Amino acid sequence: MSATAIDRGPWLTALARINAVDIVLWALRIGVLLVVVVGTINELIKDPYTAAQWFDFLMFGLTLGSIYAQIALGYTMVYGVLRLINFAHGDFMMCGAFAGYFVATPLENSGFLDTHPVAGMAAILAVAIVVSTTIALLTERIAYRPFRRAGGLAPLICAIGVSFFLEQTFRGMFGSDVKAYPSPSWQRSAFQFGSLQIPRVDALVIVLAVLFMGLLYLIVQRTRMGTAMRATSEDPEAAALMGIDVNKVVVFTFILGGAMAGIAGVFYAFVYKQVYFYMGFEPGVKAFGAAVLGGIGNIPGAMLGGFFLGLVESIGPSVFLDGLGIPAPYQLRDLIAFTLLIMVLIFRPQGLLGERMAKKRA
Amino acid sequence: MRRFFFMRTAVGRGLMFGAGGVHLAVVGVLLMLHNRSIIVDTLSLGQATLVMLGVAAGAVALPERLSPDRGAQLAAGAVAGLAAAAPIALLAVAIGTIRLQSIFVALTPDLLKLLTSDLGLGWGSALLLGGGLLAGLIGAALRVCPPAIRSTLIAAVTAVILAGVFEELIQLMLQYEGPIGAVRDTLYVWNGLTPLGAVIVFVVAAAVHQAWAIFGRHRGTAPDEGQLRRQRMIRAGVALLVLAIMPVLAGAYIGQVLMLVGLYILMGMGLNLEVGLAGLLDLGFVAFFAVGAYTTALLTADSPHALLHLGFWMAMPVSVVLAVLVGVVFGLPVLGVRGDYLAVATMGLGEIVRVLVLSDFAAPLLGGAQGVLQIPKPRLGDVVLGSPVQLFYVTLVASGVAAFVAWRLENSRLGRAWMALRDDEDVAQALGINLVRSKLLAYGLGAAFAGLAGSIFATMLTSVYPSSFQLLISINVLALIIVGGMGSLPGVVLGSIVLIGLPELLREFGEYRYLFYGAALIVMMQWRPEGLWPSEVRRRELHAGETTAELDQGADLLPAEPR
Amino acid sequence: MARHALAMALAPVALLLGMQIAAAATVGPVTDPIGVIRIPKGAPVMIGAYMVLSGPDTALGEDEERAIKIGVNNVGGKLLGHPIALDFEDDQCDAEGGQTAATKLASTPNMVIALGPACSSSATPAAPILWQAGITDIGTACTAPALTAPDRKPEYDGFVRTVYSDNDQGASDADYLYKAEGYKTAVTVHDGSPYAEQLVTVFGNDYEKLGGKVLSKEAVAPTDVDMHPLLTRIASEKPDVVYFPIFTAAAAQILRQSKEVPGLEHTAFFGGSALLSADFIQAAGPAVVGFRIGYPDISASAMGKGYPKFVAEYKKDYGEGPISGYHANAYDAFTLAYKAIMKVSKTDKAGNLYIGRKALRDAVFATKFEGISGPIACDAYGECSQFHGTVLQFTSADPKTFGVGKNPIKIWPK
Repeated sequence: MSATAIDRGPWLTALARINAVDIVLWALRIGVLLVVVVGTINELIKDPYTAAQWFDFLMFGLTLGSIYAQIALGYTMVYGVLRLINFAHGDFMMCGAFAGYFVATPLENSGFLDTHPVAGMAAILAVAIVVSTTIALLTERIAYRPFRRAGGLAPLICAIGVSFFLEQTFRGMFGSDVKAYPSPSWQRSAFQFGSLQIPRVDALVIVLAVLFMGLLYLIVQRTRMGTAMRATSEDPEAAALMGIDVNKVVVFTFILGGAMAGIAGVFYAFVYKQVYFYMGFEPGVKAFGAAVLGGIGNIPGAMLGGFFLGLVESIGPSVFLDGLGIPAPYQLRDLIAFTLLIMVLIFRPQGLLGERMAKKRA
Repeated sequence: MRRFFFMRTAVGRGLMFGAGGVHLAVVGVLLMLHNRSIIVDTLSLGQATLVMLGVAAGAVALPERLSPDRGAQLAAGAVAGLAAAAPIALLAVAIGTIRLQSIFVALTPDLLKLLTSDLGLGWGSALLLGGGLLAGLIGAALRVCPPAIRSTLIAAVTAVILAGVFEELIQLMLQYEGPIGAVRDTLYVWNGLTPLGAVIVFVVAAAVHQAWAIFGRHRGTAPDEGQLRRQRMIRAGVALLVLAIMPVLAGAYIGQVLMLVGLYILMGMGLNLEVGLAGLLDLGFVAFFAVGAYTTALLTADSPHALLHLGFWMAMPVSVVLAVLVGVVFGLPVLGVRGDYLAVATMGLGEIVRVLVLSDFAAPLLGGAQGVLQIPKPRLGDVVLGSPVQLFYVTLVASGVAAFVAWRLENSRLGRAWMALRDDEDVAQALGINLVRSKLLAYGLGAAFAGLAGSIFATMLTSVYPSSFQLLISINVLALIIVGGMGSLPGVVLGSIVLIGLPELLREFGEYRYLFYGAALIVMMQWRPEGLWPSEVRRRELHAGETTAELDQGADLLPAEPR
Repeated sequence: MARHALAMALAPVALLLGMQIAAAATVGPVTDPIGVIRIPKGAPVMIGAYMVLSGPDTALGEDEERAIKIGVNNVGGKLLGHPIALDFEDDQCDAEGGQTAATKLASTPNMVIALGPACSSSATPAAPILWQAGITDIGTACTAPALTAPDRKPEYDGFVRTVYSDNDQGASDADYLYKAEGYKTAVTVHDGSPYAEQLVTVFGNDYEKLGGKVLSKEAVAPTDVDMHPLLTRIASEKPDVVYFPIFTAAAAQILRQSKEVPGLEHTAFFGGSALLSADFIQAAGPAVVGFRIGYPDISASAMGKGYPKFVAEYKKDYGEGPISGYHANAYDAFTLAYKAIMKVSKTDKAGNLYIGRKALRDAVFATKFEGISGPIACDAYGECSQFHGTVLQFTSADPKTFGVGKNPIKIWPK
């Protein structure tokens, strides 16, 4: 803008700066908004669902969301400390689920799980946590340590490689078939509140997930290691100058993240009753979306993002896609998740609760 | 004391190899390798792998910087070999005593037979340990002996293994009667080398290698930069020529495999523009491929879904143009997204396309789950280019044109603008480069290549199914340009051959393809991130970066302050 | 003589140019418009096979592989003094796999005939490739109607199958659900595979023709795990039956989770023929008890007389009963190939075997016999098998009790 430009007034100046890109972005915003609003209104007019069924949608969404939230926590912590999208995180979850499976099946067959639910669950969770944490630590040591904060493509590709490797290893070890998770009797019934129903297993998962996440939050906020983690996440060089051993912090982060992934895996397996070598990839990617939605590096944000994503996936197709008259809306469920992810990445990459990242990424 | 330290290092390294062997066994790879014989009834690939684990352990038992003497090397090698065999022997004992197969499906009785050479647990484990010791010793001996002998031995053994593993392919190429047939019959039996054949291959390979080495030594002074460049170009040219003629000699199956390789080379060149030159990490590349394929399908197919019934040569340019448009449309929203986030955003876009293509919602237009069938092959006048070999040549020509375009782009102003973009967007903008235009051109032109590949793909398969357009393809293309060498055209070709051609040829190992893939990606990124055949610029960049990083890390190597 | 010499001269040139186009030839005592296979004395007769041998549907292809091997054993492993060599290729149940497998088989010299595949999406590109090289293809479990439809293209002239067409399966299922069980409204679910999508379309048409109503046509992805929202939605439509002929993983999820979603207590669930395996019983858990699937009749009464003997042999060779449902079709495919080859092959004085390709194809179309899956007789479009629809019901959730006729048992027609 030349210094001698006539002052055309702020509005006209702004108008003059609009270019094709802005138009497209605005069109995108409006388009998505229209789809959601019109679809929802249409559906509400049709009103096919009873209150009980709306409640069901809510419950299923929260259950799925709590699982996404737990996985997202691991993603967000690792990204905060290492600036690395750990594509293999979903596979840590798978490892934990498998480990839990091999404990749960004999426990169920011998009836122990039915009679001693708490002890049984504790055993399953413990084994799952140990396995997923071990694998997380091994991965960090072998695959990620050489890339400390390197940025660029190499660590990302390496992460993809780890993901393939873990998936195929488990496939080779345990077969490519889908294994059914045992379903103990105390999980099968549902809590009744008048006409509303909550399946027991859903309630269990949501409550436990919130408890574990609360525990994690306390660890990160109150303990020394947690503070060190937050410091490293904010500025690694300054943290090192303050005497923080970055290696130890990274190891601690992976332990926490791996443990959460393992727990998420067990919960996932109990709700959906299947383990399968490829089960981790998609929830992993979606959980990453949830983490970004909440604000990467931000723990309450990851929880929020996870629950939000779960609800959207559960309610979305039934509500606004169906409202637009789209056939077989559940096929397009992933479309909703990915559109949400893309919108967040384009329009608000710092997420709902995050701060704008000061430094440019690679 | 030093001796003890040596042994400890050797044992540690040996155990690593042993762990690797256990992993291969537990995952089922070992047994699968065992089903492929190198020398019929004598040596299987599985047995060879076990031996090589021991040899490798022995060879790397002690790192150079410890400057061990010969005796120590040999001793360490033996110890490493033993340490490598120990976990495997333990595994064999475990399989034999505990019923592990109910959990680990790959630990079958057949695997036990392989591990113990069918001698029972006691003798079998003893043989494993003894064999490991011996193999380790051999490995160390290889390390110690003069390089000329070593490289000849390695070349000869590699030749035998390759001849055994690729026996089907080689037999296919030698499928004539007469003298060539006689050669084939001496070397091979139905499914592997004969012992005589193995010996012949070994001797011939050793002789050839020696001759080559001697010839090289007699050349005299080392060649200079210009001569080196010319040598590389000649080698590349010869390799390309061989590749081009192979389908004619080796038949339709090779033509098919090479065509698939060619399609991926096309896509690799396109992604190379986006990732290698412009630094835009695009994981949604398969979407452009799908656009090209579906456009061709919908414009040419003999089915109710088709919009028109054009010929292939008319539909192909339209597909390319449409792919470019879609590329620009994809690029517009994500212009402001950077780095890792761009990877995930583009992946999301690619997945959206995949879901749409499969959906019932778009089925009236795109065919849904049934896909679009009855796509005709291209015609040149009266000739239908139907066979894989003919289509391979179409792909070859297309790749040639694309390579030329890519090469010219690289050295143009646009190419340099992209490279500036990749290094630092803000600085590039400050230098006056129009970010929007450059990025959109990168997406568009990259998409053009993919659209072309998609178009040929559709006519090759004569049908497009939505299951062909998974995220995996984008990752494949990305992996092959990374492994081959980003920013380098020969690298793309090499990467495609290694990551696409080899698994297709070795289809019997198909189940574990992605295991090797994943391991290869991890290893490549750590050991040689610039790729197998990188462009000169890239190699300098990456290794320059390394040196400064090393200098920085050097601060950590200084003695630390007492805590 | 001159023509013979010309043919002999052209053949290597054709080979050199990599063209796999079968050409008219006279070799030895056999003249054939498409080509002649010459098998020297003592050399093996190459029979190719391609089916799904990896991934979640492995049981389907492996079952067929075993059946074909039993077939070879039963004829002594030899054909007219030549050993039979089987070449199995994995087509991974998709189009690209099918194409690559078919190209591999088609470029193997002296490949006489091909068996398989198990998946229709693989057969669609593969069969023309094989036929272009003059190789007849006998399909074993690919049931897409288009493959043997009257309007199929000439490229499929070499394709027959010893398995029924989904047109019949869909009609039978509609018959049972509407007429026998009286379900007036249905919701269909497919998983995006060509097989399932085509089958629900066929079913939907037949069901509505009978008077039923398809309330909605839903779809999932084969790897979907969370079916609760879909099931809730279906519950809000209150259909009488949910028809979902999809593959194991997703079907097991739907079945399991249907017990957790309120509103579906009075809705019946009905599956398809991909679910006949112990893997499905294990994956579906307790919900599988009482679950019904539509299946071609493979009970002892409908199968050929030789079926029980086959099952006994199978158990002896492999230590377990058949692991999927199309073994009989595969066995019959091999028998059909064997009989046809026997019919048209000629041996010369030196002991070499000659087979005309077109003659072989015609012989395959013309051969009739009592197979173990029922009578085999091909119509003009390659449909060689007769279809009798039944409904099977699972009785126990213990995967070890899986057995065709035991768990699940046949419940219709009575």
